[in-house]
Amino acid sequence: MKAHRPTPPAHCSFDPEDWLRLARCWHPVARACDVDSKPYKAVLLDEPLVLYRINGLAVAARDVCPHRGVPLTLGFHDEAGIICPYHGLRFGEEGRCNRIPASPDCPIPAKLNLMTFPVEERYGLIWTCLAPDADNPAPLPTMPHWHDAAFQQINCPPFEVNGFAGRQVEGFLDVAHFAWVHSATFADPDNPLVPDYSPQETDYGFTADYWSTVSNYPAGAEDRAPPGFRWLRRFEMHLPFTATLTVHFPGEDRLVIMNAASPVSARKTRMFAPIARNFDLHIPVGEVHAFNLRVFEEDRLMVETQRPEKLPLDLSLEAHIPADRSSIAYRRGLKKMGFGEFFLV
Amino acid sequence: MCNTLEVVVEGIWRQGEGNLAVRLTAPDGATLPEWSPGAHIDVHLPGGLIRQYSLTGNPDSRKGYLICVARTPDSRGGSRYIHESLRPGQRLAISAPRNLFPLEKADKVVLMAAGIGITPLYAMVLRLEDAGIPFTLHYYVRRPELTAFRYQLAHPFRFGDCTIYHSSAGDSPRHFLPEALTRPVAGTRLYLCGPDGFMTHVRQAALAQGWAPENIHSEAFQPPALSAPAPSDGAFTVTLASTGQRWPVAADQTIARVLLDNGIDVPLSCEMGICGACLTPVTEGRVDHRDSVQSAAEKSGPRQQVALCCSRSLTDNLTIRLAP
Repeated sequence: MKAHRPTPPAHCSFDPEDWLRLARCWHPVARACDVDSKPYKAVLLDEPLVLYRINGLAVAARDVCPHRGVPLTLGFHDEAGIICPYHGLRFGEEGRCNRIPASPDCPIPAKLNLMTFPVEERYGLIWTCLAPDADNPAPLPTMPHWHDAAFQQINCPPFEVNGFAGRQVEGFLDVAHFAWVHSATFADPDNPLVPDYSPQETDYGFTADYWSTVSNYPAGAEDRAPPGFRWLRRFEMHLPFTATLTVHFPGEDRLVIMNAASPVSARKTRMFAPIARNFDLHIPVGEVHAFNLRVFEEDRLMVETQRPEKLPLDLSLEAHIPADRSSIAYRRGLKKMGFGEFFLV
Repeated sequence: MCNTLEVVVEGIWRQGEGNLAVRLTAPDGATLPEWSPGAHIDVHLPGGLIRQYSLTGNPDSRKGYLICVARTPDSRGGSRYIHESLRPGQRLAISAPRNLFPLEKADKVVLMAAGIGITPLYAMVLRLEDAGIPFTLHYYVRRPELTAFRYQLAHPFRFGDCTIYHSSAGDSPRHFLPEALTRPVAGTRLYLCGPDGFMTHVRQAALAQGWAPENIHSEAFQPPALSAPAPSDGAFTVTLASTGQRWPVAADQTIARVLLDNGIDVPLSCEMGICGACLTPVTEGRVDHRDSVQSAAEKSGPRQQVALCCSRSLTDNLTIRLAP
């Protein structure tokens, strides 16, 4: 990785201080299975990125040729790297330039290497961090059961939302909207009540154990659970934008969904959803994708039309009811991280 | 932070599979406040976590405190932090020891522990041995490898003996009770520590054998209560730090109501102490916290804030710094 002073990109939609705070965190930018030797385009925090693999290792770099500034995602690749479409410069391992076709015998200056960012592959996703803080490295979120033997690992295709990541994540943590928004997929329109619950602060954010009688079986299959079964949904919020939900089905059956919201810009979010489950393994992965897509689509209209677009961290700006304890804990957690007024447009 | 002590992690070592013993000492090597077996301390962990752990080991040692923490799969952060992140040399804030589970005067003592419940009872063993009071310890673990303090407990005692049972070998308290429990004797006390299910079962079994309820002692840690309304709310005054204006708050009024009635704007939202919109810094006086949004650490921290919609004052006056 090339050392550089992190600066917000041109036309940045975030406040510069908040951009830097977000840039110090890890964010997912692609499914690992979607990135191969071809240049792959992603945008994180308004920064256009190119992703590619060389000898199996993923590289993440600014999507700009250091020579004359053309996006590398417009280019090609061969077995030794990705190739700029303008003058054919080629970039291989760790983003290093390894060919200048116009001057093949000339030594290659360091200035021609791509500006790269650290990469971690975890939960079937490629994660990167635009401004790693060596003194205080950000932790990567964790996901329960992903690595456990009996669990199947599934990765839904990324889901684009025209809304702010904070609003999207808060929707994932919201337990009062099931009966209103998700009755076509899993919730019961006649069961809108939210029993009290109490989020607990942790070093990464908070957890909330939510007990209720709302079934998590797909609509029409609710009777798979014993009558009166109490469902535990354990949320783990990894600030700022990744949450996991572990649904405790009857017996030892568990379903874990990670909602990893990648902030493309302040108004656009790319949502990744790794899933781990230890039951219903005969149900084809395609059906799991389709079911979750329906659930995410049900949320879309709410998240894309909420105003203000960003998240008011000043709690006096919106009204709160007891069902919102997680959303309140979320906003307080973000505030403690130092995020400011930018969360309000 | 008020009423906390700073300690340094002197050492961490394995105490049977899945358990870590942690020794805490004063950074300057000074002696720590006295404690007695059954006492616990609050340990303040990063991220605002506060966890209670029983003190264990030799109760006469004031050079350091010893706690022992089991790794729990569904940890809400405390056990996980201690097992994955805590390092020797790290500084932590703790409370002074408190004892809700003290040894009381007895001719003979029966101690029953399950799992990590051994920690307070091991300190009791050492104290009883020292005081020459006859005792028996019955310690239940799932598998032999999970035993904490196994070498210390294998040491012969002059005044008592220790038996370790393995439920993997069928020796579960559900299947049989130690003989000591089946014949209650006046002057003998029973101390229980372990998971809720274990304590409930043993307590019921002991009562069925004729034990007097007052001779059965147990402790289960409860999470700190969110909001404990006082039996009767008193009146006090609220003062604005900015202007010095002061108004009485009657027993049936909230601070927010009094301020609004006097034309002062209050950033209210939920009006029930759950959201924190009206949290306001306090410059003088002690808050009677009634909200359920601040963590226990915030409520006992140095930068006190009061939820104007529901909290009250423990002092005659509360001075607040309300933003204009």
